[in-house]
This record gives sequence, C-alpha cells and structure tokens, in this order.
Amino acid sequence: MAVGRWFTRTRASVAAVTVAGAAGLTLITVGLTATPAGPPQPGAGVRGADRSGSPGPVLPRSEPVRIDIPAIGVRADLVSVAGDPNGTLEVPPQDRPTVAGWYRPGVSPGEAGNAVIVGHVDTREGPAVFFDLGRLRPGDTVRVTRADRRTVTFAVDGVGAYPKRSFPTAMVYGPGGPGAALRLVTCGGRFDERSRDYSDNIVVRATAVA
Amino acid sequence: MKAQSVLVSTALGVGLGTLLLPAAALAQTTVSPATTPVGGTVVLTTTTCNPNAGDAIFRVTGPNRDQNVRSTTAAAGGGLSAELFTAGFTLGTYTVTTTCGNGSSGGSATFTVTPIGAAPAGGGGGDGTTGLLAAGGALAGAAAIGATVLVRRRRRAAAPVA
Repeated sequence: MAVGRWFTRTRASVAAVTVAGAAGLTLITVGLTATPAGPPQPGAGVRGADRSGSPGPVLPRSEPVRIDIPAIGVRADLVSVAGDPNGTLEVPPQDRPTVAGWYRPGVSPGEAGNAVIVGHVDTREGPAVFFDLGRLRPGDTVRVTRADRRTVTFAVDGVGAYPKRSFPTAMVYGPGGPGAALRLVTCGGRFDERSRDYSDNIVVRATAVA
Repeated sequence: MKAQSVLVSTALGVGLGTLLLPAAALAQTTVSPATTPVGGTVVLTTTTCNPNAGDAIFRVTGPNRDQNVRSTTAAAGGGLSAELFTAGFTLGTYTVTTTCGNGSSGGSATFTVTPIGAAPAGGGGGDGTTGLLAAGGALAGAAAIGATVLVRRRRRAAAPVA
C-alpha cells in the first residue's frame, strides 16, 4: 500500500517535471526566435490623405483629464507635461507607461489652435499607451474629456511618420487655424539599441467635430 | 421700445465695427517664423510705422516675460524690424504689440515657442520576448531541480536496506 502510494506520487512528479521542462524550453525557443514585432507604422499614402469636415465648437481653456481612442482600445488618464531644462519635450514618466501627457504650455483640447498630447509607444517592459497609434486611419475618433466635464470629439485627418532629425515643429505646435485641433505624438520607425531611441515620431492630426 | 433701441444700437455697433475692421487690419505686425524651438531667433516686423517718425517699440508679452524690443532695421518693404532671441523663454505663446515712433499702433501678432526637437516617447524592447525568456528560464530551472530531486530519491529507494 505504502509502496503503491510512493509509486503513484513519483509518477505524478515525473510528469510534472517533464511538462515544466518542455514548456520552459518551448518558451525559451519562442523568446529567442520571435522577431520583434515593433509598433505599427502608418500605412502608405495615409500621410497625404486628408479628411475635411465641418469644424466643431471652440471652447474656453480647461485641463484635459482623459483620452479615449476606441479604434485602438486606448482609455488613458492624462498628466501635464512641459519642457525639460534642455528645452526638449517632457514625456510622462517611464514607470507610468499607461498615462499620456498633455502639453500644458499649448492650448487645451477644444480651444482654438493645436492641443498636443504625447504618449510612450513602449518601455523596456513592453507596449505602452500609444503603441497602436500608427494604426489610426482618417476618420477614426479621438475623445478627450476635460476637467470642466466636457468631452471634445476629434476626427483623425491624417497619420504620418517623421524622422526625429526633421521633427515637424510648426505642424505639431504651430498656431494652427481658427478651429480646435489635436496632435497626438509618439515614437516609431526603427529602434536603435545603441542610442536606445526610435528613428521617427508618429504624429496624428485631428480636428474637433463635436 | 427700450429693447428695440438697444437692438438698434447693437446693430449699429456691429455695423460700425465691421466697417472699421479693414482699417485696423492695415496696422500690421508679423513674426517670422511664427513657431520657433526655444533658443531660436524670430524677426519682428511692422509694415505700418513710418521709419521717419522714429524707432518702433515691439512689446513682447507671454508666459514669463513682458519686455520691449526696439526696432533696429528698416525693412526692405519700408517697415521696421528687430530680431528677438528666444533663449530662456518659457514654452508657450507670446504676443507682440507694436507702437510706432509717433505713438500710433503698429499692429500685433503672436508667435509660439516650442520644445526643441523630437519627442523621446519610447523605451524600446516592447516586443515581449523578455517576459517569455524569463518565464521559460524559470520553468526549465524548476524542472531541472525537480528532476534532480526525483533521481536522488530513486537512488535512495533502490539502495539496499541495511
């Protein structure tokens, strides 16, 4: 009886060890052979494809608190960002990859001009809030909720990838037109392991429609 | 009766405003470029002021400053201009209001001081294989330890009882 129980227990242990070993080796193999997928890039020809619709209302200034992009499953809280002492754009902290940053020196979403929201594409740990930004297409909806409890709905006009050495400063921050517009910014292109930086910025242009 | 007169005067005001607007639009100040990364130089120009009346004063107001810049150059088009160096400017939008040498308005314009360069919005390594490797390593390690324990136990069981 005792020998029988010992035998059954050993057989179960052998099975568990074999399964764990096989699973472990499989995971290691997959981890080593998988090609890094990288964040999605804007499709060809999207950059020039402009959508024109009737502009939405222009609102007074109010801090934005939340951004929703249903097409790519983004539902994120917003924090304020400005510039760092070197004059480059501040981004949300790496340890909070699920929040996006509203550029406070600019206008707020819904005000006349370009409101800018920046988010990480990924961190060392994995995809971040704007990982799928390059997947957006003209006509997709972006909703920004503000501290005054109003929600501004933007429609995407175009998505482009721009080399970081020729960042389209005026297009992103520029005075813009009389209506309310939105610029979403993240990283894209190739990731350079040495400089630990991406080659491009992905910029989404959108106009308030409601 | 009273409401009507208010309405009429409002309509009159709007009408007059519309008529006067083209005159106001003539007082022109431009900033080039209208958007500059912090540290860049912009050129302020007024085409309204008569250079013979003296220098124009560009009053620059914005997030962290209120300064006057005196025109230094008579622009080719007949106006007056000055260069403005934006080092140390806080990011944001600034307004330039021009007063001509004779005290008249030289118009106004806005310009935007932006961050330098691109957005560092990625940390890399977002492909998820690091997690797979770690999990695989842990499992394989556990299996190796388990196998060692089992082999030892079997040896002990197989050993003749004294």
